[in-house]
Amino acid sequence: MTTTSPASWSDLTIPVHGMTCAACSARIQRVLERTPGVGAANVNLMTGAATVSYDPSSVTPDRLVEAIRRTGYGAELPAPDGSAESLVDAQDAARDDEIRDLRRKLILSLVAAVLTMVCSMPLAELVGHGVADPLMPLMMPLTDLLRRIAPWIGGISADTWRWLLLALTAPVVGWAGRHFYTRAWAAFRHHSADMNTLIAVGTGAAFAYSVAVTLADDWLSAHGIAPHVYYEAVVWIIALILLGNLLEAGAKSRTSGAIRRLVGLRPHTARVARDGMEVELPLGQLRPGDEVIVRPGEQIPADGTVVEGSSHVDESMLTGEPTPVRKRPGDTAVGATLNRNGALRVRVERVGADTVLSRIIRLVQQAQGSKAPIQRLADRISAVFVPVVISIAIATFVLWFVLGPEPAYLQALVAAVTVLIIACPCAMGLAVPTAVMVSTGRGAELGVLIKGGEPLERSERLDTVVFDKTGTVTEGRPAVQQVMGDDAASLLRFAASVERLSEHPLGEAIVAEAVARGLSLVAPQGFESRTGRGVAGRVDGRSVAAGNRALLAELGLSPGRFAAAAERLAAEALTPVYVVVDGSVAGVVAVADPIKPTGREAVAALRGMGIESVMLTGDNARTAASVAAAVGIERVVADVLPERKLEEIRRLQEAGRSVAMVGDGLNDAPALAQADVGISMGTGTDVAMEAGDITLMRGDPLGVPRAIRLARRTMRVIRQNLFWAFVYNVIGIPVAAGALYPAFGIRLTPAMAAAAMAVSSVSVVANSLRLRKSVKREA
Amino acid sequence: MTTADLVVIVGGVAAIAWVNWYFFVASRRRDATVRHQ
Repeated sequence: MTTTSPASWSDLTIPVHGMTCAACSARIQRVLERTPGVGAANVNLMTGAATVSYDPSSVTPDRLVEAIRRTGYGAELPAPDGSAESLVDAQDAARDDEIRDLRRKLILSLVAAVLTMVCSMPLAELVGHGVADPLMPLMMPLTDLLRRIAPWIGGISADTWRWLLLALTAPVVGWAGRHFYTRAWAAFRHHSADMNTLIAVGTGAAFAYSVAVTLADDWLSAHGIAPHVYYEAVVWIIALILLGNLLEAGAKSRTSGAIRRLVGLRPHTARVARDGMEVELPLGQLRPGDEVIVRPGEQIPADGTVVEGSSHVDESMLTGEPTPVRKRPGDTAVGATLNRNGALRVRVERVGADTVLSRIIRLVQQAQGSKAPIQRLADRISAVFVPVVISIAIATFVLWFVLGPEPAYLQALVAAVTVLIIACPCAMGLAVPTAVMVSTGRGAELGVLIKGGEPLERSERLDTVVFDKTGTVTEGRPAVQQVMGDDAASLLRFAASVERLSEHPLGEAIVAEAVARGLSLVAPQGFESRTGRGVAGRVDGRSVAAGNRALLAELGLSPGRFAAAAERLAAEALTPVYVVVDGSVAGVVAVADPIKPTGREAVAALRGMGIESVMLTGDNARTAASVAAAVGIERVVADVLPERKLEEIRRLQEAGRSVAMVGDGLNDAPALAQADVGISMGTGTDVAMEAGDITLMRGDPLGVPRAIRLARRTMRVIRQNLFWAFVYNVIGIPVAAGALYPAFGIRLTPAMAAAAMAVSSVSVVANSLRLRKSVKREA
Repeated sequence: MTTADLVVIVGGVAAIAWVNWYFFVASRRRDATVRHQ
């Protein structure tokens, strides 16, 4: 193992194809982790990608790809630009190749399966059935037809039929089903086993036995052993498993539709201004610093800043926000958004992997591949499952051999093969990741970015949602409503000058009002920001401070003659900002932050789901109570400094609550991290996506109940999937072993087991896709 | 019980023991060795 410092490691995402179950991805991950020079590896079954953190001085990307290929799976080097979109394209291409390959193999196998069944009928009439397959009578009309067309087939010897069956089966085993054997062997060499092991051992045993009978039929007959062959079972098993794999690959491809739609948003070319000319270039050739011309109706090719022109831009594809946003010089423009009505000239700042779209795609991909804690249960079972099933199959063979009816060795072989085939753990491996993939993809389409399985699982248990007030319940764009003081203009000028360096929304509102009134502002001297209280500095040589009651208390002042007015403002949901000049309170600036229109609906929806809403704010109690009453929140914690928000969350958790914190993602970061689920509210595309467990791109409070509802439904689907996957095996394995045979004479054949296995995998994926539709109806 | 039955029973038990040793015990030992390196 490498001892290089993490700082020198590089990250690489390699598209991998051919993985069908959790054991496949686990094995590739183990092999990568053991490769010298690799620090960490994560292989994602659903997205078909391996993310490797490696030391470039010890190992090259080619060697990593080679290491994956040695495990029996396909892998290619990723596209050179490293963007999430290129990776998705490569994965799509790999998946399409895989589906085409599976389809070809399936067609050959199905043709061979029908032919082997037809050929097995006359052979069975010559040497008896051994253990008859219930599918055989279905082929009787075909066999009869063949006899009528070619009556001479009745004269073909049993030996010839067996060689003909071997000729039909060999291409299926050697080509169509070859990957089962190569992957099983690669797994075996690494002391691990997966579904390929079960298929390879099951079909391999039946095929080897049949070949032995074909080669030594005379010797077996001479020793009293009827020369039965099971070629048709081998071919049917491979054909049905390939059918299941093909259906599964198609369904899995649908679960990644959300990612594909996001990738489909990006334009392919950009019109770049160069030497006074406009040149149309492929997106890959765009560089930061380029200036692009975006005409009405065109997409903005990359992230940047508007340098010329004015227009409305539709950002709904990224944020879900339906109203186009006005863009003027100096505004940020986001790649893939649609320019509506005016021409814009945009200076490109970010391209490729650094763009907002690429970051969103990467985030959704990571989320879709992340493991929910409930997955650990499935992983634990999968890890021991295959060796346990092989043990059960051996025990089944022994029991049938010793206790079963004649021909006992044949009955034993068929029962053991059936156990191996029915127990393929595909459904169990797919139960959790398919549901996580569908729901995170659906969430992204609704403007709700959920960072994977763990936040989904924690969101399900929430019983309390704590809302930060500013920017969450309110718009976060406050405006000055009233200025109270002896000289309003002078008061506003003092307050705005000292707030010029503040980044607080209230400060920005005061500055905006002063600018709108045409007041000339000056740069404050000795500016000081007092977090959660206000600001202070010197303006025109006078000491000025602006802030809340806590600031007054800190300065040892009282509101004085403005106390009653401040109380009244607070009761009207206005925030009073006290302005202190030369040590005495000179006036109050009343600022109002409009309440978001969907706030009330969101709180009502949460109440309907049994979740209590709490409002946490640094604002004064009167204003907070007034805003809370407007949206229907009953519990308010006001006058909370940012650092105390975390303590409030912790206090709720200690009281046994499962708490979500909804904040703006930047100054609420500690509280978001402390909460069981941190939900950050994005505003437009300027979104701090890394801040919380869930990001609401649209900044709409309704996203909170929507995300929790999505989480609850996802967990319900995961439980259903796991239940059915377990029940299928708990019932299927004993029945395949012959548990019902002594009492009812009921038993399964290998071909029936293969069909059941295919149905179980497909039903799990279909159940997860159903989740997508149910959420769609509601959304 | 015939000799063939006995052979199959003994062979079966041995096969089960080997499968469990190979996939559980030997694989763990191998993982520990790799981690050590």
